[in-house]
Formats: sequence, structure tokens, C-alpha cells
Amino acid sequence: MKKSDGISAIAWTVGVVAVWELAALVLAKGLHDPMAASKLPLPQDVAATIAREGATLAEAASVTLSKAAIGFAIGAFVGYMLAVLMSVSRTAERIAFPYLIMSQMIPVLGLAPIIFNLVRNMDASRIVIASYITFFPVAANSLSGFKSVDLEKRQLMHSYATGLPTTYAKLMLPFSLPYLFAGLKIAAPMSVTASILVDMLGSKSGIGVKLLYSLYGGAMDVFWASVLVSAAMGILSYALVLLVEKICLPWEAAAIASAGRAE
Amino acid sequence: MKMPAMDAMELIGSKPVLDTRLAVLPSRATGWTVVGPGAIDDSRSASVAGASALIEVNSVSMVYRNGKGQEVQALKNVSLDIKRGEFVALLGPSGCGKTTLLRIIADLLEPSSGSVQIGGLSPRENRLRQKYGMVFQAPVLFEWRNIRNNVRLPLEIMKVGKKEQNRRIAEQLDLVGLRNFSTSYPSQLSGGMQQRVGIARALAIKPELLLMDEPFSALDEFTRERLNEDLLDIWSKTGKTVVFVTHNISEAVFLSDRVFVLSPHPGRLSSVIDIDLPRPRNCETRESPEFFSLVSKIRRSFEGACSPALAEE
Repeated sequence: MKKSDGISAIAWTVGVVAVWELAALVLAKGLHDPMAASKLPLPQDVAATIAREGATLAEAASVTLSKAAIGFAIGAFVGYMLAVLMSVSRTAERIAFPYLIMSQMIPVLGLAPIIFNLVRNMDASRIVIASYITFFPVAANSLSGFKSVDLEKRQLMHSYATGLPTTYAKLMLPFSLPYLFAGLKIAAPMSVTASILVDMLGSKSGIGVKLLYSLYGGAMDVFWASVLVSAAMGILSYALVLLVEKICLPWEAAAIASAGRAE
Repeated sequence: MKMPAMDAMELIGSKPVLDTRLAVLPSRATGWTVVGPGAIDDSRSASVAGASALIEVNSVSMVYRNGKGQEVQALKNVSLDIKRGEFVALLGPSGCGKTTLLRIIADLLEPSSGSVQIGGLSPRENRLRQKYGMVFQAPVLFEWRNIRNNVRLPLEIMKVGKKEQNRRIAEQLDLVGLRNFSTSYPSQLSGGMQQRVGIARALAIKPELLLMDEPFSALDEFTRERLNEDLLDIWSKTGKTVVFVTHNISEAVFLSDRVFVLSPHPGRLSSVIDIDLPRPRNCETRESPEFFSLVSKIRRSFEGACSPALAEE
């Protein structure tokens, strides 16, 4: 199981690089496109640029990523607490849920400048937007988790005469964790994207700035390197959530493994 | 060399709880007590005089509204007594209110009228004092807790000391034969094993009363029969009062001291049957003519009383 996972990951990576290489070669050598290097550069050229620009790219990425991470953490906490509140009280849910839906109607692209105008601070804007993007999928998924607790489990707790705090500590919160992580997995790459978006609004640092300047300055090799680093940041954020989930929810892996055996 | 007398002595020696309990119980030779519709109002009709009743159900009725707003009478005027240490079954087809009655005893539902007393307490007081253990049709285990921590759950809630928790967990897992699975997760166990964990968890709090709501109905016949025997073994070792809901006639006969037969539409007590099969019961009990005759008596009572309802299902 683990071994075949590794093999498929390698096969997948090799496949993507091969297709990319082939497409870039066809563009440059086959079609003699003069813009081939900017449309789709060869993967080894991009790799070379990443190696050359490694230090500045890493610095830019860490600015963007660290703010995304802080915003993600805040958004996840707020989202989960909202879900707890809405699951405890139907009234709270009826009041809060329309606002949650409405919050998703406002395009982040429009909201980001407004936030920046309000806080006048690039880092704070990144954090606010990243948490704004994070809280909704976390709240919605966690709430659906709280609502999925089976009646018999609640009745079991009722038979033990537990109060609300104990019921939440022993049943509701642990039950909702897989749902929380489903929300976190959606939100993590989105929070990175949000942070990059704020970079582009006139920041002085961050991977978004690299993307923008290199694109306008015609440094296509740096542009492509930045795109690749951005993608890697998104994947990294997802992988980190996955790793934490695996550590926190060991029973999930056990369930999947025994389901596999049963088939 | 095997001597019959030795066997009998061993029996008494190894099952002291069972033996004293048998002595307390009144004569089992009475066979049936058929309660006609006119006699249901008499709350003593379903009890045996002289024994100390743990649970007294007095003229309990339960009416609720279904999705269309119509009133459904789930239980009508049910009265019965269950004695301390007794194993009774609530038997009947779907819609007879047997699960409703169990849930009223467990204070998961409140009756529309009538009253229930459990050791002199109301069901609510009894629940708040955490005096019963409940086993559901599904095992209702917490997926995120391993087996030992599932059994630990009620002990944590009742703030039992850590040392005592571990002692009881080991004791209960030994009793249900799952000691080697204490660190497994529920998903790694078969349905029958999961249900054993549910029983261990219910027994861990040392309740006087064990309420079981069709606990084995989702299992295959072989697993069910084995668990029936295991349950009787556990019961004889612990001496709990057990109220066991089932729609399986032979299961009810095999397990119980008395079977309360309920009929549907509206749910009501139609007869009470003393099961005078000797204990301990085992696979030979299932083969005995007395067993068959009790099963067929009960089956005939169903077909006579409510064949249209059964034909519907």
C-alpha cells in the first residue's frame, strides 16, 4: 500500500515533466514559435532559474507563506468556533448562517483593496484576507460534521446523564474532526492564493510581487520560476494539513486499512 | 471419570449468583399467563406476587404524531413488573412498541400517560444516577477511541479513578473475551466483536439494570446464537436485571425467565410467558422439545392475534 503510493507518485511526477518537456520542445523546435521561452519554457531552464534565484524566491515565498499560515490558523479557529456555536444553538445558526453565505458573495478581489485601505498594513491585510478565505469552508464543513453525529451516540451520552460541556468534549468535538480536516484541506491552498493576491496589490515583498514584476519586466524565466514556487506552496500547505490529519486521526487510517482488507 | 453428582456440585460452585437467584424466584411451573384485553388494566396481572420488583410499569401509554400529523398509539395501557435479577424479553413484531417501552424505562422517551418506577425512582432520577447500562442495536462505539478507551468512556464521565478504570476495563474485556483487542479500533473488529464491546462498556459502570435494544438483530444467525450463550454466561456471573428487546422468538425463549409478548396497532401487552427451561442453557437447550414447544406456542399466539399486521410486513 505505502510502496505502491510511492511508485505512483514518482510515475506521476515523471509523467508531468515528460509531457511538459515534450510540449515545450514542440513549441520551440517544431513550430518555431519565437515566444516559446515565455509561453512554455523547458522544465530544465525553469529549474536552473529556481536554483539561481533560490535565495530571493525563498525569501519572497516565506513572506507570503508565513502570513498565509497565520491567517489560516486564525480563520480555522474562528470558523470552527462559529460551527460549535451554530451547532449548540439553532437560533445562533439562523442568525449567523445567512451572513456566512453573504460573506462568500463578496469577491475577494474586491474585498482585498478595501481591507488594505482600512488597515494600511500589508502583513495585516494578508492575514485578514487569508483568514477570511479560510473561515467559511472550515465553518461549513465542521457544522455539517456536528449535524452528522448519529442519534444513538447522543442517546448513549444522554443515558450517562452528561451535560453539554462533557457531551462536546467526549462526543461532538472528536466526531467533527474529520469534517474539520475536510474543510482545512480545502482552505489551506486557498489561503495561500489569498496571500499571493494581496502581494499583488502593491506590496514590496512576497511571491506575488515576484510574479507581477517579472511578468511586466519581461523576466519570463523568473516569472515561470515564481509560478512553480507558488504552486509548490499550495501543494505544501495541503500536504501539511494531510500530515497533521494523519497524526491527529489515527483511527481514520485504521478504518481505511480494514475497509481495504474487507474488499 | 465423570460423575453426575460432581457435575451438579461444580455447577453450584461455579455459578453461585445464578443459583441464589433461582432460589428467590417463584415457581416456574405455571407456564403461561395469558392476559386478555380486559385484564390489562390490572397492573399486577403481569407480575408474580411476592417477589421484589425492580421495575414497575403502570398503565403506560405513548401517543405521538407521525409526519402526516396523525396520532399514532405506540403503546396502550401497558403494565408489567420486572423482578430484581430477572432476565426478561420484550418480544413482538415491528410497531408493537417494545423499543418505545425500553426507551421509556431508559428515560430516552417520556410516556404520554402512566408511570414507571425503577427501584422506587422515576426513570429520570434513575438515569441521572447512572444506574443502568444500555446496549443498542448498533454497537454505537466511538470510532476515534480504541476498544479499551471505548469501555473507559462511561468511567471517565463518572469520574472513576484511573487505576480503577484500568482494573474494570481489563475485567470487562476478559468477560467478553476481547482482552487481546484492547488497543484495536472499532473498525478493525467484526460486528459481533463490536457488539461485545458495547456490552462490556454497559457493564463497566456496574449497573444493576442492563437495557438491551435488539442488540444482536444485525448479526448473522451463528454469531447471534453464540453471543446469546455468552450473554447468559455473563448474566449468570454478574446477576444483573436484564430487559432484552427482540423480534426473534427463539432468542427470547432461549434467554429469558419471562417473555412479555406485545402486539402492534396499538402496541399492547398481549401475554406473559414463563420460560421454565432449566439453566444453565446451552446448545442442547435449543434442541429440547420443551424449547420447541415454547417457541411454537408463542408463534401461534402471534399468528392468531395479529396475522393481518404480520402479513403487511
